[in-house]
Amino acid sequence: MTPGAAVLPCAGDPAGALLVLAIVLPTAGFLLALSVGGGRAERVALLFLAGGFAVAIAIVAAIWRSGHALSYALGGWTPPLGIALRADGLSAVMAMTTALVVGAVALFGRQNFAAPAPGVEARVPLSFWTLLLAVTTALNLIWFAGDLFSLYVALELLTFTAVPLVCLDGRADTLEAALRYMLFALMGSVLYLLGTALLYSAYGTLDIALLSERVRPEPAVWTAAALMTAGLVAKTALFPLHLWLPPAHAGAPPAASALLSALVVKGSFFLLVRLWFDVLPGLPSRAPAELLAALGAAAVLMGSVLALRQARLKLLIAYSTVAQIGYLFLMFPLASGPAGGPVAAGALTGGMLQAVSHATAKAAMFMAAGVMAGALGHDRIAGLAGTARALPMSMFAFGLGGAALIGLPPSGGFLAKWLLLTASVQSGQWWWAAVMLTGGLFTCGYVFMVVGRAMGEKDASEPRIIAAPITGQAVALALAVISMLLGLAALAPLDLVLVGRPTLAVVACR
Amino acid sequence: MTGPQALLLAAVAVPAVMLLGCVAPRLRGGMWQALWLAPLPGLAAALLARGSSVSFGPARAQFVLALDTSGAILLGSAAVLWIAAGVYAERDMRSAANGGWFVVCWLATLTGCFGAFLIADMPGFYLFLAVVSLGASGLILQGNTPQARRASGMYLAFALFAETAILMGFVLLAAGTPGGSLLMHDAAAALPTSPWRDPALALLIFGLGTKAALVPLHVWMPLAYPNAPISVAAVLSGAVVKVSIIGLIRVLPWGAAMPDWGAAMAAAGVFGAYYGVVVGLTQSDPKTILAYSSVSQMGLLVAVLGMGLRAGDGGTAIAVALAAAWHLLAKGGLFLAVGASSGTTARRPWPVLLPAGVLALGLGGLPFTGGAVAKLAIKGPLGDGMMATLVTLAAVGTTLLMLHFLRRLPASAPTRAGEAPAGLTLPWLAIAFASIAIPWALYSAVIGPVSDVLAPAALWAAFWPVLVGTLLAVGLRAWGPRLPPVPAGDLVVLGERAASGVATWSVTLERADAVLRLWPVAGLSLLAVAVALGAAMLSGR
Repeated sequence: MTPGAAVLPCAGDPAGALLVLAIVLPTAGFLLALSVGGGRAERVALLFLAGGFAVAIAIVAAIWRSGHALSYALGGWTPPLGIALRADGLSAVMAMTTALVVGAVALFGRQNFAAPAPGVEARVPLSFWTLLLAVTTALNLIWFAGDLFSLYVALELLTFTAVPLVCLDGRADTLEAALRYMLFALMGSVLYLLGTALLYSAYGTLDIALLSERVRPEPAVWTAAALMTAGLVAKTALFPLHLWLPPAHAGAPPAASALLSALVVKGSFFLLVRLWFDVLPGLPSRAPAELLAALGAAAVLMGSVLALRQARLKLLIAYSTVAQIGYLFLMFPLASGPAGGPVAAGALTGGMLQAVSHATAKAAMFMAAGVMAGALGHDRIAGLAGTARALPMSMFAFGLGGAALIGLPPSGGFLAKWLLLTASVQSGQWWWAAVMLTGGLFTCGYVFMVVGRAMGEKDASEPRIIAAPITGQAVALALAVISMLLGLAALAPLDLVLVGRPTLAVVACR
Repeated sequence: MTGPQALLLAAVAVPAVMLLGCVAPRLRGGMWQALWLAPLPGLAAALLARGSSVSFGPARAQFVLALDTSGAILLGSAAVLWIAAGVYAERDMRSAANGGWFVVCWLATLTGCFGAFLIADMPGFYLFLAVVSLGASGLILQGNTPQARRASGMYLAFALFAETAILMGFVLLAAGTPGGSLLMHDAAAALPTSPWRDPALALLIFGLGTKAALVPLHVWMPLAYPNAPISVAAVLSGAVVKVSIIGLIRVLPWGAAMPDWGAAMAAAGVFGAYYGVVVGLTQSDPKTILAYSSVSQMGLLVAVLGMGLRAGDGGTAIAVALAAAWHLLAKGGLFLAVGASSGTTARRPWPVLLPAGVLALGLGGLPFTGGAVAKLAIKGPLGDGMMATLVTLAAVGTTLLMLHFLRRLPASAPTRAGEAPAGLTLPWLAIAFASIAIPWALYSAVIGPVSDVLAPAALWAAFWPVLVGTLLAVGLRAWGPRLPPVPAGDLVVLGERAASGVATWSVTLERADAVLRLWPVAGLSLLAVAVALGAAMLSGR
């Protein structure tokens, strides 16, 4: 099967319409929520997100059953004239993760973002619920878009919906964090757009499938790839371009932090994967892949050490995100290594699994930290004593999420680590394995630091820990459990990730 | 699922379910009475389910519980110790302030310990090892002193380093196993021809050796045991540390001789055996003396494994398991003896001291004790060469160390007035009895006729090191006070200095991060990343 044959959209494919639905449904919800106002936005959002969840399941089921990618040409116009939506295994897995995490965030957000009374207008709930729907739209568009310009639009939409989530509470410091995030993300967008324009001027199309056939190794492509990659890396907050992430993720309300850390940074990362493995498979990729992984390694070490040095729990988790993003980039040299098909396939699966596992685990940890901060009135790590006794459920969720980050079996983190370690052994690049193992030790360090403090006994002098509502805690725990069991469930998605990747062998030979 | 399979599952699942039950505060309170019940399915499995296996999960990554003979030996004796220690813990620790965590950590450690004895696949072993380490460090914390906190942190740190090495070792093992099997048995069989044989063995021996307190990776042990509550020290020194032995038994290839690796393990093990004796003699706390004796005895077990690996002797696994079972019961018992003797004022100490003396000298190989049986069992793998002589001489040292322990035992401060309650003495006497009876029963069941042990030559071979050790102890008594004091944990001081070095280094990193997060620097970084990527592509690789 040639790559072209696999991706040429067949307009008659009924399952392909699901992709349209996955994007249209949250958009419709967004518009409806805006028009009904803050008092009823919550109900609209929950309804449409539930629908989106069902659609995501249907997409995964369709791909899993048929074993090949779904595609849909909008309006029946095939590329290069029209726009195609396309869902392979990678996108299906990410869409399912999105539906899951967004659903959890919505349930968690109900306690913080309920309207004051039915029908009463309120700015913050309206913003939260509409932004939640808009982020979903943007993410689904990123997973399913088949051309680089739609992806640019999706990327911008994602940035402009994520930025207000940072400063929902309207405090000066969160506003500053949000502005910092937006400015840096815009710089990234500009670079990405420049690269896209270069590619268009060189080849006259932006469709991923068509580009992958036409791209040749020449200066225009190198420049475009460098610009686009740098822009996306800035949006993903890969070290040393992480200046915006800690204040933004630590300052946002817990529900928003969970969404930002779990999903939003994965959007631009996913685009990088698309770029290197689908758009530019014909490019010599070893040296740039190693550069990316070297930055990833620096992120793992730097982020972990800094997480250990934080005094506030949410900042600790934010720096942990910096480190975990680093892990994602270790997959590039492993998946484009010279050693042959199975190694590259294992590395790609491991990397994507790491993304999914981190999404669920980190969302759970941010939620649990939010519950604890709410009950304690602060999130200083030194003052956590007694939390484990007062809020066992949240602490358990935090611990389980931490265990998934550390990579204890049967978590998704374990399987991801196992696959990536195996790939590094089999391709003879053992130094990446050393980075992963060292990072794992640091992860243990900061997770146990928090859990150990929380298990301690509280001084009588400290203020009483107030009770926290059970729903939020239960949602965090459920996500943590899912993340912990992902290693078992992932044995099916293990193959799912590879559905629709006929070019993999080509990538691997390079 | 057949009966034996159900037993295998229950051995792990019953403590695990009890652990989950602790989520409810009401159940957690009631869990104390049930502590001694949790290991019962494990005991039943060891007795009735040998040779069976049960697996769960999707075909590509199965979770497999299987009970081979060496696993059954260790599981059964560990279950006996856990039951006795559970009774002791209920009497001793129930009134402690932070009782809820004690039960949780106890059950977690038990689950992990039994799981590790039963599991046949690598990810599962890694999981149970992690559960054991977490639970055990939580249990050490229950000593509730600053020293206990330091010991607990040290235990956890060493355990994490060990597990990191073991994980990488497993990855290398799996990468070298044809067919992608994750079973330790298959991986060990494929190891001699694996392209990653040497790094895999190095990592696994380093990791499991750390868990086995192989010198110089032993420093956590003399900190952990003396600072933990008695019941905790008993299960850790007896049962939990044997997880490392079962790990080595499972991952080493017994079908093929590996002279170099075997000799290295044997040398490291024997060095540890002597090191533990020498440093132990400088200690005064009976619990610390026992901990150093554990360093010594675990070294011996590793040495025997090494000799077996060197010769490719297939009988090593069972012999080492038997010797480990003896040490499991004896050491766990002696820790309980420390507790029982410190619980009583000195009016009638003999019911405690006399069996303690028998067990202590048994570690030196006193005839008719389990120690003599264990010694005979490891004779095969050890051979007749220099190593056998070194091990015999180590028995002289052990006798010396154990007499030192017995002399210090009554000196341990009584923690409460009056007679030791029966709840504290009875578990100790039960273990003392079991530690004599079980090795005999095991020897006749899996190795050979009991008459071997009773042959006059065997009796003499077992007796003379004890005799020499006793004579030496009498002769050297005057020297005792002149020995230089060595802090418990000896080499650990160096490690702590290194750790503070890391702390200053992390301050530097924090400053670097602050600079990198300045706007101008970040903007330049972005530019630099773009240029570097372009240059990397131009380089055309």
